[in-house]
Amino acid sequence: MYSHYEFVTGPFAWMAFLIFIFGSIYRFYSLYKLARKKDGAVFEYMDLKFALRSIGHWLTPFGSRSMKLNPSMTVVTFLFHISLFLVPIFVFGHVVLWKENFDISWFTLPNIVADIMTLIVICSCAFFLWRRIKLPEVRYLTTVGDYVILLIVAAPFITGFWAYHQFPGFAAITIIHIISGEIMLIAIPFTKLFHMFTFPFTRGYIGSEFGGIRMAKDW
Amino acid sequence: MTESNTVTPVKEIDDKGILKGVEQLTPEKIESTILQVLKDETGAKLKVYVDTCVHCAMCSEGCHFFLSMDRDPKYSPAAKVKQTLWEIIKKKGKVSPEFIKNAAVVAFTQCNLCKRCAMYCPFGIDIAYVISVMRRICHKLGVVPLYIQDTAHSHSVSMNQMWVKDDEWIDTLMWQEEEAQEDIENLRIPLDKEGADIFYSVIGPEPKFRAQLIYQAAVIMNAAGENWTMPSMPGWDNSDMCMYIGDYEMMERLKKEHFECAANLRAKRIVMGECGHAFRSVYDMGNRALGWRMPPVEVVHAIEYYNELFENKKIKIKHKFDRPVTLHDPCNIVRGRGLHEMSRNVVRATCETFIEMTPNREHNYCCSAGGGVINCGPPFKNARVASGKEKAQQLLAAKAKGAEVVIAPCHNCHGGLEDIIHSFGVDMELKFLGDIIYEILDLPEKEE
Amino acid sequence: MNYSSAKPKKLFLNCIISAMKSIVPKGIFLTSLFLIISGTAFSNDCYTINGESLEDNTNTRPFVCFPHDEHNENAGLDDNCARCHHVYTDGQLMPDESSEDSSCSECHMSQEKPNDLDLIVRYHKLCRSCHLEEKKGPITCGECHKKP
Repeated sequence: MYSHYEFVTGPFAWMAFLIFIFGSIYRFYSLYKLARKKDGAVFEYMDLKFALRSIGHWLTPFGSRSMKLNPSMTVVTFLFHISLFLVPIFVFGHVVLWKENFDISWFTLPNIVADIMTLIVICSCAFFLWRRIKLPEVRYLTTVGDYVILLIVAAPFITGFWAYHQFPGFAAITIIHIISGEIMLIAIPFTKLFHMFTFPFTRGYIGSEFGGIRMAKDW
Repeated sequence: MTESNTVTPVKEIDDKGILKGVEQLTPEKIESTILQVLKDETGAKLKVYVDTCVHCAMCSEGCHFFLSMDRDPKYSPAAKVKQTLWEIIKKKGKVSPEFIKNAAVVAFTQCNLCKRCAMYCPFGIDIAYVISVMRRICHKLGVVPLYIQDTAHSHSVSMNQMWVKDDEWIDTLMWQEEEAQEDIENLRIPLDKEGADIFYSVIGPEPKFRAQLIYQAAVIMNAAGENWTMPSMPGWDNSDMCMYIGDYEMMERLKKEHFECAANLRAKRIVMGECGHAFRSVYDMGNRALGWRMPPVEVVHAIEYYNELFENKKIKIKHKFDRPVTLHDPCNIVRGRGLHEMSRNVVRATCETFIEMTPNREHNYCCSAGGGVINCGPPFKNARVASGKEKAQQLLAAKAKGAEVVIAPCHNCHGGLEDIIHSFGVDMELKFLGDIIYEILDLPEKEE
Repeated sequence: MNYSSAKPKKLFLNCIISAMKSIVPKGIFLTSLFLIISGTAFSNDCYTINGESLEDNTNTRPFVCFPHDEHNENAGLDDNCARCHHVYTDGQLMPDESSEDSSCSECHMSQEKPNDLDLIVRYHKLCRSCHLEEKKGPITCGECHKKP
């Protein structure tokens, strides 16, 4: 227990953050280099104004026809992504760790809010799982990897919820919570989770094409 | 919806272009061709598109194939990528001839490259681009549907889509000139006139099947008093099936010929007939392949030109078209160039009653014929028409609101809508904007 | 305040409370108070600060119940008060001195910009580093910050 704790909060944590940061930088850099070499047109047509216009529309709930046609998915996906982003960064227990290790701190979420948001993430994952299994068009596209990703994302929140509420065995679960969070970090650069970084670029590019060249909206 | 049950998609394909092509494939040839295309011709864009897709299927709602085929998951846009590029990238090109056969059918006949799905994907993934890459691979493997391959062959032999010979082209223009003199005395279709304001170009099928469109255009140009010309030499055809089969080398030759033809005549700008794919070729793909960010000679689509005529009051009409109309927004000039408001301006200027179909503008359903699908010919006709079911319902809804005439300012859309209107018992009349304008044009009295 | 110890102490504590209320901002006051109690009271009792009287524990974990004497007995600290109540002078640990008469915040909280987190972090580090070293005692959040 003690050595496990020391490992997951020490070397493994460093490794996870380093892989996350440098893995992401590496993927970005290699994509950028490849784009420079092979997709010169992308840079030619990229337009900040239209990119932001498109991103703005797609970051607004029900800002596109696609979202209006799928209201449940829209509500879930917005709540999910907001919670997924806010909870790990702003929950008190994590801010304390930043303070302990790097002497930096910031705004924290009230426990009740973090708790609800955690539940939102867990329920959203259940919803996504249901979609994957139940809707034929989603099932057809689904690979084993998609289920694994869902698990990778849900695990830190399930274990975090468990540890916070001190359900039986929470001490061991806390360690699993830490590991699962680190696995998620490591997974980001090398899996579909990387979409968090590519979104502004894919969206921005089609927004630039539609806005600047095609003179049409893309939402 | 009288015949909707009779049009079902064909399960076994009967296309010599694909079947013969597949027969000649070996695993080695497939692999090396695929790797060449992936390595040399694609880059970060394809990689990011394929890697970013989270398999959420939100694009499904964007596809008229998916909607028309009763939400069959195989027809969702991402599913078409799954059946083509995902697998190919995953297996690093080690796929079977049978796989290529299916991929060719999917890429050539189950996607109109209309880019509607890009507006439904939260990431804005340009699936049409991914499908184009698949077509490119198929082209390089020699697995292309026979009929569209034939048009591409015609392009490479004659620089036009329809095997129109040089003398036949001139003959057709002179014939239409003579016909149009019925309407306007001394009407001319000026050939190879240098320094004209307008270089008018059409698609190959116009002289072949729809010569009256050249007649109408000549009447409109004359009525507006334009300083215009048409070329007598190759370069007159702005169409481009090579673009759709993935023969980008030929696409470049075609566009170069077209632009140079206009440039040699020192034309101020190119005005093109009511065609969608040709516009895509000149404004989007062809110019880029040649290294031009924007077309080297300004290209104006017929809709934009008509809009100009009405805004500048260059033509007069006798009266407005009196039957209620609805308007189809073609992908290549709406999602491709945002001409939807201009086309509405023209419709309002020319028609008494305008009834919108829904969804409309950027969100309009595709005619199911574009992207070269109709050019794949009879072997795929039933499947193509069946995938117009959603379109048929959209048309019927407009009809229920009173619309009698469908205006479709695109040749491909015309072909597709004609079949849909016929097969689903929609029973509406189909017209080009030019048809309407010609019909109501106030021509100067002819001296008898 | 709610603590489960004997009554006479209540008077004494109330004095400290009112005295400190006048000089220290509220949130910090309570945290400091807790540290003073556990540092100076020398009691077997488990000191907890009840959530009701706090306005700012909505974001933090439940307060820690620290049974001072029991802990020291289990840990075999005997009279080694300095193990926790340490004294540093110019960055050097003074092995023979101890600091149970002063509050943690005197050294561990900036006077200009007082921040609860400074003390919380010190506390975490003090407890956890020893527990990890000794491979005894609680280390994860919930083991100390028990839900009431």
